[in-house]
Amino acid sequence: MTARRATDSDAVSLLLAKHGLELARHLRRLVRDDDVAADLLQDTFLRAHRALSRLRPGSNERAWLYRVATNAALNHLRTRARETAALEHHARESRTLPAWIADDGPGGAHAEPDERHTAVWARVAELPDRQRIALTLRVSDAWDYAEIAHRMGGTAAGARANVHQALKTLRKEFR
Amino acid sequence: MTPSDTAEDRAVRQLVHRAFKRLTGRSGEPVLYALMGDTPVGLLGLAAGPAGLRCLEFIGGEDPFVERLLALFPDQPVERSNTLDKVRYELERYFAGRRFTFDTRVDLSGLTPFQRRVLGETAKVPAGRYTTYSQLAAKAGRPRAARAAGNALHDNPVAIIVPCHRVLRGDGTLGGYAGGLDAKAWLLRHEGALL
Repeated sequence: MTARRATDSDAVSLLLAKHGLELARHLRRLVRDDDVAADLLQDTFLRAHRALSRLRPGSNERAWLYRVATNAALNHLRTRARETAALEHHARESRTLPAWIADDGPGGAHAEPDERHTAVWARVAELPDRQRIALTLRVSDAWDYAEIAHRMGGTAAGARANVHQALKTLRKEFR
Repeated sequence: MTPSDTAEDRAVRQLVHRAFKRLTGRSGEPVLYALMGDTPVGLLGLAAGPAGLRCLEFIGGEDPFVERLLALFPDQPVERSNTLDKVRYELERYFAGRRFTFDTRVDLSGLTPFQRRVLGETAKVPAGRYTTYSQLAAKAGRPRAARAAGNALHDNPVAIIVPCHRVLRGDGTLGGYAGGLDAKAWLLRHEGALL
């Protein structure tokens, strides 16, 4: 515990202490998702930590943090808009109940596959960001977990956990 | 200090705690702090944990105060907070001369039993009165320990609220004060103990 901390982490602590709450609030309002906001918040302060040596004394660190956080959130929202468009396209194109939901479900129980399929995809769109994106990359684009992790950031195990959680939610609600 | 808060406040604090834990390894109970500028004795720094107020100090600026808190509480997140309004209100009332007593709970858990006894006796000295280091040492059970009592007062983490400014030398001179002797003299005059 003690060894992990050094003077530079105290510099991060100082920034977090002074500006953490207002930036967390700012990010959360922008992206409306706690897990994404948590990632963006950590990224912002990590970048601040790396840039500390370059920040001139007296420069406005608060304005700097807001700018970095806002840009990160906007990038995220642009990516998400593209993902959502891809999902909707996928939902329109597909005509069958997704096999990844139905494979071990009760056979022949799908009287109206189109309708149910649309409902499943509508529910997918409401999943938390990281789950929704990981699931989409996995089932629509058939990416492996390492590729998903590379694209989204984080680890392959994390990507697997996100997909697993998404499937669990969907199976519980649609089976 | 239970912050009165909304679901958003709780979620926001959670995000900051996650960042602290991930980036700095600090994962204990957070220490909340606030600043109070424009007081007659200069800039004050306040900090509180769940068991009460931990610091009320005369400070030179926000950064040195936060750095000090980070060093004092090495395993805990430190957060600027607006939840210390109650103690700020009591301090405003004090500076305005409307009331000289405080209801704010203080947390003296980091101190030795002797220091706590000295501060406890100090807290009994009412506004408008003062005592001496040796009288205080006697009341705390160690009549010859005037110097030790002075040291205990020097380490008083909650200035003004535990009124260590009401303790003077036996010869009537001011002695010392963390906020400077001008501040000590101002507080005593404000309370009517000095002319």
